[in-house]
Amino acid sequence: MSKDFLVEIGTEELPPKVLRQLSETFADGITKRLADLQLSFTEMTAYAAPRRLAVVITDLAEQTPDQDIVSWGPPAKVAFGADGQPTKAAEAFARKNGLEVAALAGLVENDGQQDKLCVRQTLAGSNTEALLGEIINQSLAALPIPKPMRWGRSRQEFVRPVQWAVVLFGDQTVETTILGLTSGNLSRGHRFHSTGNIEITSPLAYRDTLYNAFVMVDFAERRELIRGGVIAAAKSANGNAVIDENLLEEVTSLNEWPVPLIGRFEEHFLKVPAEALVSSMAQHQKYFHVVDGNNQLLPLFITVANIASRDPKQVIDGNERVIRPRLADAAFFYNTDLKTSLEARRESLRKIVFQSKLGSVYDKTARVSALAKVLAPSVGADVAAAGRAGELCKSDLVSEMVGEFADLQGVMGRYYALNDGEDAAVAEALLEQYLPRFAGDKIPATATGTALALADRLDTLVGIFSIGQQPSGSRDPFALRRASLGILRIIIERNIDMDLKVAIEAAAQQLALTDTSDELCVQVLTYVTERLKSWYRDDGITPEVFASVAALGLSNPLDIDSRVKAVDQFSRAPEAVALASANKRVLNILAKQDDSSLAAKVDPSLFEDSAETQLAADIQRLSQLIAPLVNERDYIGVLAALATLREPVDVFFEGVMVMADDLQIRANRLALLHSLRQLFLNVADISHLVVSK
Amino acid sequence: MNNVGTPPETFQALIIRLQQYWADQGCVVLQPLDMEVGAGTFHPATFLRAIGPENWNSAYVQGCRRPTDGRYGENPNRLQHYYQFQVAMKPSPSDFQELYLGSLRSLGIDTEVHDVRFVEDNWESPTLGAWGIGWEVWLNGMEITQFTYFQQAGGLECFPVTGEIAYGLERIAMYLQGVDSIYDLVWAHGPQGDVTYGDVFHQNEVEMSTYNFEHADVDALFAQFDQCEKDSMSLAASGLPLPAYEMVMKASHAFNLLDARHAISVTERQRYILRVRTLARTVAQGYFDSRLALGFPLADKDLAEEVMARVAKEKAQQQAKQERADKAGAAK
Repeated sequence: MSKDFLVEIGTEELPPKVLRQLSETFADGITKRLADLQLSFTEMTAYAAPRRLAVVITDLAEQTPDQDIVSWGPPAKVAFGADGQPTKAAEAFARKNGLEVAALAGLVENDGQQDKLCVRQTLAGSNTEALLGEIINQSLAALPIPKPMRWGRSRQEFVRPVQWAVVLFGDQTVETTILGLTSGNLSRGHRFHSTGNIEITSPLAYRDTLYNAFVMVDFAERRELIRGGVIAAAKSANGNAVIDENLLEEVTSLNEWPVPLIGRFEEHFLKVPAEALVSSMAQHQKYFHVVDGNNQLLPLFITVANIASRDPKQVIDGNERVIRPRLADAAFFYNTDLKTSLEARRESLRKIVFQSKLGSVYDKTARVSALAKVLAPSVGADVAAAGRAGELCKSDLVSEMVGEFADLQGVMGRYYALNDGEDAAVAEALLEQYLPRFAGDKIPATATGTALALADRLDTLVGIFSIGQQPSGSRDPFALRRASLGILRIIIERNIDMDLKVAIEAAAQQLALTDTSDELCVQVLTYVTERLKSWYRDDGITPEVFASVAALGLSNPLDIDSRVKAVDQFSRAPEAVALASANKRVLNILAKQDDSSLAAKVDPSLFEDSAETQLAADIQRLSQLIAPLVNERDYIGVLAALATLREPVDVFFEGVMVMADDLQIRANRLALLHSLRQLFLNVADISHLVVSK
Repeated sequence: MNNVGTPPETFQALIIRLQQYWADQGCVVLQPLDMEVGAGTFHPATFLRAIGPENWNSAYVQGCRRPTDGRYGENPNRLQHYYQFQVAMKPSPSDFQELYLGSLRSLGIDTEVHDVRFVEDNWESPTLGAWGIGWEVWLNGMEITQFTYFQQAGGLECFPVTGEIAYGLERIAMYLQGVDSIYDLVWAHGPQGDVTYGDVFHQNEVEMSTYNFEHADVDALFAQFDQCEKDSMSLAASGLPLPAYEMVMKASHAFNLLDARHAISVTERQRYILRVRTLARTVAQGYFDSRLALGFPLADKDLAEEVMARVAKEKAQQQAKQERADKAGAAK
């Protein structure tokens, strides 16, 4: 008792960057509502093209399931008077359930405590077909549309004007009102390859009917067709197409019937940096670019037309005519920019506000430069190069090229620095300062780039915190979360032995704050190191492992990382559970004592039990053994050595009563436990590894 | 679908063809506004007519001035003065996109040969307090038209919605005539030979660029801005929204010139835009009120009555609130 179901909403061109999101949300909305109504089906397929959103569902149940309804009424003693006649309460219950009062006498049941009136009815399922309109409309109303619009003389609101709607249930057309239109079985094909209405005979015929009308409704199919076509077009010219996934997604959203075409631009434009040409082609024209075997840009572009033109040459000619002035603009910007050195350009940064309370961008470059010099030795960079890179690091922001293509910041800085005759290390640093740009992006490869990348981020972090604009909740307008993660990744992945607290203090000093309080630095340090928590979680390291290291309040990220990795490995060892609980036990015991109750030093002469003697000897031996390992930060080695304590510790707790009546003996035992705990604290507080129940 | 015309040979033939096409769709064909404006949208036939419930269908050429785009006649693609062909239809017809595509075919652009696309590009004018949803239209990758459904004008919600089409005439003509420089466009076949766009406008581009960037009197422009602002306010207060609107356009152009002279800093810029927007809002409300007083003569009767009833109700509520406040005040 099921039928296939189709809904198609026909519109004017939908926004390409959100097309797939709209499609998925619409489809999810429909399946969620079907589930709520307990309507079963076999398969759901979502379709999305520039002028339509559609969903096909196979084998959708024709009826919602029957429902057993149990309604309890008043207690029998209230429902019936002493004479056995129904009371007013009983009459009301009968009315409510559509029953004759006379029928009530047979409807008394015990609910486990007392006799009550009770009606059991079976509510027949509703007709799915009658529910479809509401399901569709609710799903449409729930779409994420930041700016709903109106059109004509209609009060309807939607993402773009709606032109038609198709609803089929089986072979039947379902007429319902959708966004001011009456649904039918008539769709429309390609804007130019098809005319008039296209009749859809059944949900399963939808995809092919539209394909025959030159609309590929399947988004993924269209995307892969474009990918293949673009690659083939490049191959035909002995090149390799470079396909950016975001651009591919956008192009897929702009085409009903994609036809990749290859065009050329004049070779002399290749004198302009490739990145600038690529940005111009991709952002303005949505073209894919083509490279040769050595990854060098070729004077070719691939556009994806939305038509199988009767004369493709005219489409190519037209596109070649458009790209020429675009690239000429890029060449003009580049050549104009070359005339002014980055140093001279730096002066214009005085007029650009970085943040009203933190001065101009020029001021920022002065701070970054000074800070980069401070950081240079610890990252192995040349002090002078780091300082110079800091001075020039934002100059390209006021170049013509970056004004046109913001994503070329740093990229152009590098080219312009080289043109100015700056040191190669300085030029590279200008590019690398923005790395990593996103999760998974590469980090700076050069030492100068590293110094600059750290200095720029630290300055922003400390500066923004100092004016009280730190992130709160999901609000993070200055992207400090990303900046923090960048700092941590650079330090850890480049193996930089750096005390972050010292670096933060250095950054605070550059800000010349009236209140260079320790509090601010601690606040920033805490914020940055807290980012490690989610980072390690993403790496599959448990929060307990991280907490055991975080408890030590360290500020050297590289050191923290070595400890976390050692504890992570240790936590998988067979000894871990016992030793973690032992540490927890020690912690609990010691927490109840004040310091005065501990002996200053463990005195072997006070031992009464061989277990005490053994443990003390082991602690003594191990503390000597691990001292050099701790110095070398071989925490894995340390924990491997300490793992041997499992047995003596177990034996100790089994045989020795710590809280002995003799206060001197008790103090001595507490001191022994204290020294045991100190041993582990060389690496981490592994009592955190005990998973709280 | 194949009612493709032969391409107009000249710039003026292109304009005439579009005028005829939209006249055939029932548009009131107007002549350009005799004032400096930055876009066809500023023409009262679009901006003011978009306000209120009245119907309106119009088409016209509008010369647009963008002082900062001047290139002294040296750039083949950029002008500080150029032409738009503007169509405004209210309410926007349901086949508005199809009508537009029909106009391209009438210009000889075969949509089965060329790649014509509607690419998302929403429109916003901060100075007019206006925004809309729409597209730029691409012809083989070249933007030739801006297509917009107005949602708000002068801070007032647009209902019915005005659909606006702004053709970039020079770009379309360059395409049709196959030239790479605006100045090479044939404007007319004259008795002594072809007259080009360069013949008509090149000297103007050189001299006006020089004026815009080098000679425009900054102090006088600041004074003019202040004066226009003052006049616009007092005219609006006197129930004269149309002259008040002319003052808004003049203030806006003064601002554009000051911008070309780099006389307005980044922070001040925002403040000037806000000042023009405040004027535009005041004028928009004034225009609405003046049409209301006339009973919205061009509106569908039902809609005119609905809007008048709504305004009367709001007024009554406002009055009742005021009376309650007065009473409360008197009681004290």
